Amino acid sequence: MDRKMITLSVDGKTVTVPEGTRILDACNVAGIKVPSLCYLEDVSAHGSCGICVVEIDGYKRLVRSCLHTVKQDMVIHTHSNRVMSARKLNLELLLANHPLLCTTCERNLNCELQALALQLGVRESRFERTKKSIRPIDDSSPSIVRDPNACILCNRCVEVCANVQEVHAIEMMQRGLRTTVSTFFDEGLASSVCTNCGQCSLVCPTGAITEKSHESAVFDAIADPNLVVLVQTAPAIRVGLGEAMGLGEGSLVTGKMVSALRTLGFDRVFDTQFSADLTIMEESHELIQRLTNGGTLPMITSCSPGWIKFIETFYPDQLEHLSSCKSPQQMFGSIAKTYYAEQAGIDPRNIRVVSIMPCTAKKFEAGRSEIDSAFSYWRDKGSFTDDEYFCDVDYVLTTRELARMLKRIGIDFAHLEDGKFDDPLGQSTGSAVLFGATGGVMEAALRTAYETITKTKLDALEFEQIRIGAGIREATIMIGETPLKVAVANTLANARVLLDQIQEGKSPYAFIEVMTCPDGCLGGGGQPIPTNKEIRRKRAMSIYEEDRGMPIRKSHENPSIQELYTSFLKQPLGHLSHQLLHTTYVKRGAYPE
Amino acid sequence: MNDRANEIAAIVSKHRERHGALLSILEAVQRTNEHNYLPKQELVMVAKELGVPLSQIYSVVTFYAFFNLKAQGEHVITVCRGTACHTRGSKPLLDNVLHMLGIELDEDGMATTPDYRFTVHTVACFGQCALAPVIAIDEVIHSMVTEEKLATMIEALSARKEGA
Repeated sequence: MDRKMITLSVDGKTVTVPEGTRILDACNVAGIKVPSLCYLEDVSAHGSCGICVVEIDGYKRLVRSCLHTVKQDMVIHTHSNRVMSARKLNLELLLANHPLLCTTCERNLNCELQALALQLGVRESRFERTKKSIRPIDDSSPSIVRDPNACILCNRCVEVCANVQEVHAIEMMQRGLRTTVSTFFDEGLASSVCTNCGQCSLVCPTGAITEKSHESAVFDAIADPNLVVLVQTAPAIRVGLGEAMGLGEGSLVTGKMVSALRTLGFDRVFDTQFSADLTIMEESHELIQRLTNGGTLPMITSCSPGWIKFIETFYPDQLEHLSSCKSPQQMFGSIAKTYYAEQAGIDPRNIRVVSIMPCTAKKFEAGRSEIDSAFSYWRDKGSFTDDEYFCDVDYVLTTRELARMLKRIGIDFAHLEDGKFDDPLGQSTGSAVLFGATGGVMEAALRTAYETITKTKLDALEFEQIRIGAGIREATIMIGETPLKVAVANTLANARVLLDQIQEGKSPYAFIEVMTCPDGCLGGGGQPIPTNKEIRRKRAMSIYEEDRGMPIRKSHENPSIQELYTSFLKQPLGHLSHQLLHTTYVKRGAYPE
Repeated sequence: MNDRANEIAAIVSKHRERHGALLSILEAVQRTNEHNYLPKQELVMVAKELGVPLSQIYSVVTFYAFFNLKAQGEHVITVCRGTACHTRGSKPLLDNVLHMLGIELDEDGMATTPDYRFTVHTVACFGQCALAPVIAIDEVIHSMVTEEKLATMIEALSARKEGA
């Protein structure tokens, strides 16, 4: 990998970078952050915004530094008068068609366009709007809202959807003044192949793509004295929320998060990690059963709802590879409204389950019609009639929504004392926290499967070879004398590689973990903005740190889980488990019939 | 519809291996469509046969003015609304032809009679400003058009038998 090195001058400073480096990145090395509204490392290099222009000696025109690579002895000027006035002009042209409604925009104070206007000193809008029509907002999706009027046509969302996820739900449509990002026949995201992953909302520089908010509904539920509002928090929230509350990248804030949720007014603060442990119990037993009874292999994890809609849409003939386990979010909902309701003596009709998720697809998952098992449990007992239907999970908030709610009530997050989760649905293990990072479900399942199969204690708990790293990682794990070949993929483009292998009959694996988002849930579409490679790495380090610090690190040793099986579920994959913790999938297809 | 599905499958397989096949395929599908346009279900067929995302197909179709997403009349009347034509009376000409045919332009600047005999639409400029006002009928350009000339031509077309 010896690349030729190129030496060049940036604002009089000599820098040496590998051949093929983008001019913009070379300027970064020289200590100058060239602004851009469309360039995004590993996602998008489109040159559409025209903000990243620089001047190069011997070049007649200004050059878009995100599109061009360095050449030997280049002399670059990043802030000549010509450059600065071109940047300002291009920004003013973008602003001419952008609604200046910053105060009521979700991205107010976290908007790249707004920040750049401040940075470049744009104090007036000299140009008139050229776009004639107001375009309809696409709020068809249960997860994502798209407002084309706030869009600056940077192309990031299109590229993340097409290249990182290989979903192709959205594209640039029309041309000239009518150019807009849209779906097939402008039918909206809900009727498209969109997996609701929300990566588009994470990369959008403005407020054009946001999550569908459940904030008001949750405030209302909390204020209703007749309701018992339970909150569950996904593993990745504790390594993301701090950033949105002004703390450092990847800060681990488990205790502060619990205190903040209690202050917000939730009646019980529980943990999705409890049901992550439960997922491991069911899923590792399902794997053992498939391995010993000649079931369909490889078995693939089913926690990530973007991934579920992806396989249902693009590989509907491979659904039998999916584990039948519900995700931890949904397992929590059905246990909360059955087991916990009975134990605590609360009418399940008065319980509201609120999830805090790093994920926009979880909003879609909570509304899936095949998931309604707490209600069926009570109906089968003859307790309620059909018209009293309730779902397992009522509201889903992203990390960003929770941060907004905490800010709204004026909480001093940085100085909160550490709180503790409530029992029993708040107890969890190191295995459960790993769900927040790519490879974590696999690692957690292996810890439990190993001890269940071999009946011996596993000493080396950390499976380094499947932890955060490349898009696809594989390993052969010795379970006693038996080798188990496993693979881990993050992003849907990488999942495609493993599915194509299965389709061709060439998959060597017994067990595969797929996470929809880059590096897993910690890079989820509902996480704080910005989320990038370096920030994701820091969040992952916090996940591993949390695991190491947990007194119990294997799901099957969680006392609350053991008690749940003893007094209620009886055994993994048992009758009640099937009713409450397992699900079915839908054959969708990528093209309408 | 089944015959049409087979026809589209044949068009796709004829062009499939060629670089940039999509444009040729869409052109052929539109040409062989009864009303010279690309209905949604035919675009779905093309996408499925070719294994191309629906969003990409729609992106291409909406980019090129050549492709029609609405059914077209047998005769297409194109009225130039460029500056030169405007100053020499293209607006009254447009109003006139719409009135004669009893139709109104939609938001895309297009109108088709319910019997699919005529489609009227506008363009920004033909580049034939010296001959303004200019109107094209079935791709034949007529220059220095007057209301009388236009009325005669449309009456002649109306009198013709369908498909003749």
